[in-house]
Amino acid sequence: MTVEQDCVALDQFPVGMRVLAVDDDQTCLRILESLLHRCQYHVTTTNQAQKALELLRENKNKFDLVISDVDMPDMDGFKLLELVGLEMDLPVIMLSAHSDPKYVMKGVTHGACDYLLKPVRIEELKNIWQHVVRSRFDKNRGSNNGDKKDGSGNNEGVANSDPNNGRANRKRKDQYNEDEDEERDDNDDPSSQKKPRVVWTVELHKKFVAAVNQLGFEKAMPKKILDLMNVEKLTRENVASHLQKFRLYLKRISGNQQAIMANSDLHFLQMSNGLDGFHHRPIPVGSGQFHGGAAAAGMRPFSPNGILGRLNTPSGIGGVRNNLSSPSSGMFLQNPTDLGKFHHVSSLPLNHIDGGNILQGLPMPLEFDQLQTNNNKSIIAGNSMAFPSFPTQQSSLPNNNNHLVLEGHPQASPSAFPGHQINKRLEHWSNAVSSSSSTLPPAQNSNSIIIGHQFDVSPLPHSKPDSLEWNTQNASSSYSIPFFYYDSSQMRQSGNYGPTTDAMLSSNPKEGFIVGQQKLQSGFMGAEAGSLDDIVNSTMKQEQSQGDLSEGDLGYGGFSSLRTCL
Amino acid sequence: MQRQVALIKQSLLDQGYLDEQFMELEELQDDANPNFVEEVATLYFKDSARLINNIDQALERGSFDFNRLDNYMHQFKGSSTSIGASKVKTECTMFREYCRAGNAEGCLRTFKQLKKEHATLRKKLEQYFQLARQAGPKETARRPK
Repeated sequence: MTVEQDCVALDQFPVGMRVLAVDDDQTCLRILESLLHRCQYHVTTTNQAQKALELLRENKNKFDLVISDVDMPDMDGFKLLELVGLEMDLPVIMLSAHSDPKYVMKGVTHGACDYLLKPVRIEELKNIWQHVVRSRFDKNRGSNNGDKKDGSGNNEGVANSDPNNGRANRKRKDQYNEDEDEERDDNDDPSSQKKPRVVWTVELHKKFVAAVNQLGFEKAMPKKILDLMNVEKLTRENVASHLQKFRLYLKRISGNQQAIMANSDLHFLQMSNGLDGFHHRPIPVGSGQFHGGAAAAGMRPFSPNGILGRLNTPSGIGGVRNNLSSPSSGMFLQNPTDLGKFHHVSSLPLNHIDGGNILQGLPMPLEFDQLQTNNNKSIIAGNSMAFPSFPTQQSSLPNNNNHLVLEGHPQASPSAFPGHQINKRLEHWSNAVSSSSSTLPPAQNSNSIIIGHQFDVSPLPHSKPDSLEWNTQNASSSYSIPFFYYDSSQMRQSGNYGPTTDAMLSSNPKEGFIVGQQKLQSGFMGAEAGSLDDIVNSTMKQEQSQGDLSEGDLGYGGFSSLRTCL
Repeated sequence: MQRQVALIKQSLLDQGYLDEQFMELEELQDDANPNFVEEVATLYFKDSARLINNIDQALERGSFDFNRLDNYMHQFKGSSTSIGASKVKTECTMFREYCRAGNAEGCLRTFKQLKKEHATLRKKLEQYFQLARQAGPKETARRPK
């Protein structure tokens, strides 16, 4: 009986499947509608692509499948296809009287899951439900890696009567799980499904991390995380890929400073988000952790994630760079007290430094050199921003996306440091990041520098004077400034914070920040170096104009905080 | 009466005015959609009249924007195909070829022909539907589902 039920259930799935049909030709539309009705689907029609988009946006879960004509006056069918794939992640079938392979190819490359020729035959329509199932199945597979047996209720086939979501696909998922799906990758199949880019905002990341922490890092599975996070429109795939990055990040940060996780989040976010990454995460947890061992040692490397990440800086940063990587997690400054938690701002933005790859090895290091000479001119271009201390410094940094967002922990800022600004910045930044994904919040200065420094204050001896030293050092590329000062222009500064940074890291983040002085030597920490690179590279798109960084002071601001951490 | 209707339909098919697609449409007609085919045909003629107008205007302008003409014709062809208007479809195809060849003369000629076919079809279908309505529910097209 069960089998039968299953079969029946399965059979029922296509019934009632909700299809949105779009075609400017009334005749064809009417015929299509009728054919679909005949297949027992639930049909909604519109002859305008815009209207179709509206309907879809209104409620993403209202439809299971979209069928669209290619030639439409108000919008190209392929464009609609792309948008639907991106925003709603629904399977789309193209329909056209053109049998030209070019069109079919275009359909495929734009993500269509099928291409039908007019006149459409009912036999073909009878099978289109497979695309719905397949897409769900793939999604599940991708995000479920580790999440097999996701008990989501799939129960034997049931749900099929519920045409929408999930049921059939859950069923499949179960089967799939049983089958052992181990692939753990993002399962992003860009060619077939363009998933909307998810912006991992600070908030989102916070939830993510909370969920991960709650589940236990080792056991965190995308599905569970997703459930815990309870964020609409987030798919397992998104979570899975984010999780993967997060894990990498953690690894990078320092072997197993899982503890730092919390902190890492920010850092991580930054990294992964690239631009968006600027999440300011006040990582309360782990903050100490990171500092601990990592901090000290790592702190250096703590280079503001992403930003300097790579500190390729051959110049002085080199050393720092490596360190930086670890700090990635360190980015999050945990010092709630003083640093106000600098969150490592997105390492991503760093990429832009100069052309965008901040992380890439951070051109920063080079910059750093320059910086040194420039006197941080750019380095901290971000200074202006992120650091509370610098509130104004930004000057040099152009506000573009590449801004380094210094995430100073907003929380602490008021107290710990002039952090307000940073916070504000961060906020701005977060907002900006999330919204525009690339443009950093104009936050006070155009060059919002996001410095992801992680402040681990504890281990580092904070000493005010350090900062000063630091400042003076400018040139000393060794800064291990953990924070990434990412000024679009300057970003490159891979901040190496060099050894001095350690010292510099005074406990007072505030002080560290050199509020004015920060001449952060451009040595920004290239953000976590290494690992971040990848992430950053991808994310960082900003190009930061080096020149902007001229005012290093900002950058350092954050930097100082870093120092404290370390 | 229904036989008559069937006969007319058959003749239309035989003469190539209509093709299997039309049959498919008839199949879609059922109790829920008793006049489905007629509705679709009406829609088609409305749309195609508009298209024909557009093309006429474009041709009269003498500018011969082949791209645009091709586009129109593509649309026209699409709907004609959907309804099974076979002769019209053929003319559309020819027209498009002339367009691609940049043959203005050919386009004009074909278009005239196309209009003729279109008009003929329309008349015939109107007749057909009229009869069909008189004859009552169609049985010919109905097939057990």
